[in-house]
Amino acid sequence: MLKTLFPTLARFRLAVQLVMLFVTVYGSVIVGTYMADKISNNLPALSCAYDQMNGGYCVLIPTQHIIHHRIGEALVRAQQLTFGMVLPLLMSFVAFFAFFFVLGKAFCGWVCPLGTLQELIGKVGRRFNIGLRRFDGEDLGSVKRVRPVKWLLLLGLVFILPLLTGLGVTPHSLGNPYCDICPSRVATTLLTGNTEQLALRLGDNVSFTLGAIADLLIGFMIVGALAIRQPFCRICPLLAFNAVFQRLSPLRLVKKMHENCGKCGICTEACPMDIPEIAKEEGHKAYHEDCTLCGRCAEYCPQDGVIQLKWGPFALFSSSRDYYKDKVKGELPDGTVKPLKFVKNATKPTSADA
Amino acid sequence: MKTYLIPLGLLAATAALAQHEHHAPPAVSAAAPAATQAARPTARLWTIQPLLLPGRAARGERASALLRPQGIAAQTVTVFAAEGPAERLQVEYPLAPEGARIAPATPKVGNYHWVVAREESAEAVRVASTAWYFGNPGDSPKELLKLPKHELEIVPDPLPREHGSYRESEKWRFLVRFNGQPLAGQPVTLETEFGSRSTVLTDAAGIATVLFPRDFKPAEKKAGGGEHEGHSPRRAAFVLSTTTEANGRRYLTAFNYTYGQDGDRNRSLGWGAAFGLIGMLAATPLLRRRKPTASGEHRDA
Repeated sequence: MLKTLFPTLARFRLAVQLVMLFVTVYGSVIVGTYMADKISNNLPALSCAYDQMNGGYCVLIPTQHIIHHRIGEALVRAQQLTFGMVLPLLMSFVAFFAFFFVLGKAFCGWVCPLGTLQELIGKVGRRFNIGLRRFDGEDLGSVKRVRPVKWLLLLGLVFILPLLTGLGVTPHSLGNPYCDICPSRVATTLLTGNTEQLALRLGDNVSFTLGAIADLLIGFMIVGALAIRQPFCRICPLLAFNAVFQRLSPLRLVKKMHENCGKCGICTEACPMDIPEIAKEEGHKAYHEDCTLCGRCAEYCPQDGVIQLKWGPFALFSSSRDYYKDKVKGELPDGTVKPLKFVKNATKPTSADA
Repeated sequence: MKTYLIPLGLLAATAALAQHEHHAPPAVSAAAPAATQAARPTARLWTIQPLLLPGRAARGERASALLRPQGIAAQTVTVFAAEGPAERLQVEYPLAPEGARIAPATPKVGNYHWVVAREESAEAVRVASTAWYFGNPGDSPKELLKLPKHELEIVPDPLPREHGSYRESEKWRFLVRFNGQPLAGQPVTLETEFGSRSTVLTDAAGIATVLFPRDFKPAEKKAGGGEHEGHSPRRAAFVLSTTTEANGRRYLTAFNYTYGQDGDRNRSLGWGAAFGLIGMLAATPLLRRRKPTASGEHRDA
């Protein structure tokens, strides 16, 4: 029964993503108005706080708020240092890590609503035979050029600016600057029929500018995701946040070196984040900071047991030649699928799309 | 199995301590008065109903709040908590000239607390009630709201979520009950700080569905240029009131809180859509088909 419903890991992941998209955008319909807040307190890594129908919040909003309201203010009021700063921040992080302990970076590849939306748009792009663009050196340049952006966003917008605002150095409207430019805020609220977050706040230049950046990003993401896989994930500070602690979670990607590694490169081709290290490296180096634990590299590795998704000692999924052969019949490593009939007639696929 | 239970236990253990900070705690928090002061006609009384109004709080003050009764001759202010030690679930605070300084059940307990001021005589019972959100984790107010706390009550159904608020142009439900029983056909009057007034009747289940009027007056510009600070919406006070008589006594109860300005005010959907379109246009060059490369071809392993 399960095998029929979910013949591949990708199909199973898509089902999980769709369920989590519903939970993270409309979850309060199921768990109740107040319970959604409770879940946020327990699992502070879910969805956007600006969406009033969701089932939980993203961890970046409490992080910015604690740094802004608690640390900045507590530093000003030094006598509150312990209870005002250390404990709230520590506890927020502990709750995040508890959640992270179970899911690890799979949050990005299996739960994140914005990741799911980008992937769904990418599937539309493949169906409409829109050519895939990749960060592979030949097309959009090296992926290594993009990687620092997520760290800069994490450091600057999630930590430094909220702290400076709490200290009274920067204006109050820079209290949660990452949320203000986050395209997920716009996307998930639009999915509930709320256009407020798309609309730009007038009369405050800082808010207007930050909101404009969010709208530019969501616009770019909607069209860009047709051609580039996971365009926003590459610069998402939550991916960086997860990457800092990825070695602490039992859920991880495990890669053994095989004699063909670095030659076929199919795993990198399958990787939605265009990670070349997965093909060339092994062990810790193969489980790269950009990995979202989607498992596509394991699905498309044609060698038995070379790439695995593991939780502690348990192998949840292992690459195998038979699985690979079945898999490529329906979808090529880069996501290319049989285009829709009228699209196929209109645009003949090139050899690269074969 | 045990391996899987450990993280779940850890989640439960940390649940009580990890907390999102508020943008602006609903209603009468420290941030709210500052945000609304500029637009408020503070000098005049906008209602004769009994109110519990917030006093000024120090920046960063979360462990206590100052509430000042208005239009009611109360001696104390009573705070009901959803959780905490039994002796702290209902606490009376004496009234000083500046108001009553209330606190959560314990310093660690947050979320909504229910606050009541009461004036009683042989002929009448007058009650002012409000809810106060302390910025820490705590039990949801579901059970707290279910619990009858005085004879005639106006009970929000529900209270706004952590990052939410009542807003202009929105409809919200309030349960009216007397001695714990819903009152059908009971008139409930809404008055706002900006002078709006309307009355609705409760349905058979005792629910009054209240439409918050779109009545915010333009805010005064601040020296810095913005109409308000940061991401907190402007808020203003409202009061719901109802009266009934039983056993020769007249009961009047009011629930006051704040509502926010409609999210669409001072926002431009046109500008937002324009920037969204610019983003889309910027991405369109990516849709051009690139020249086929060897790396795009499928290899048969």
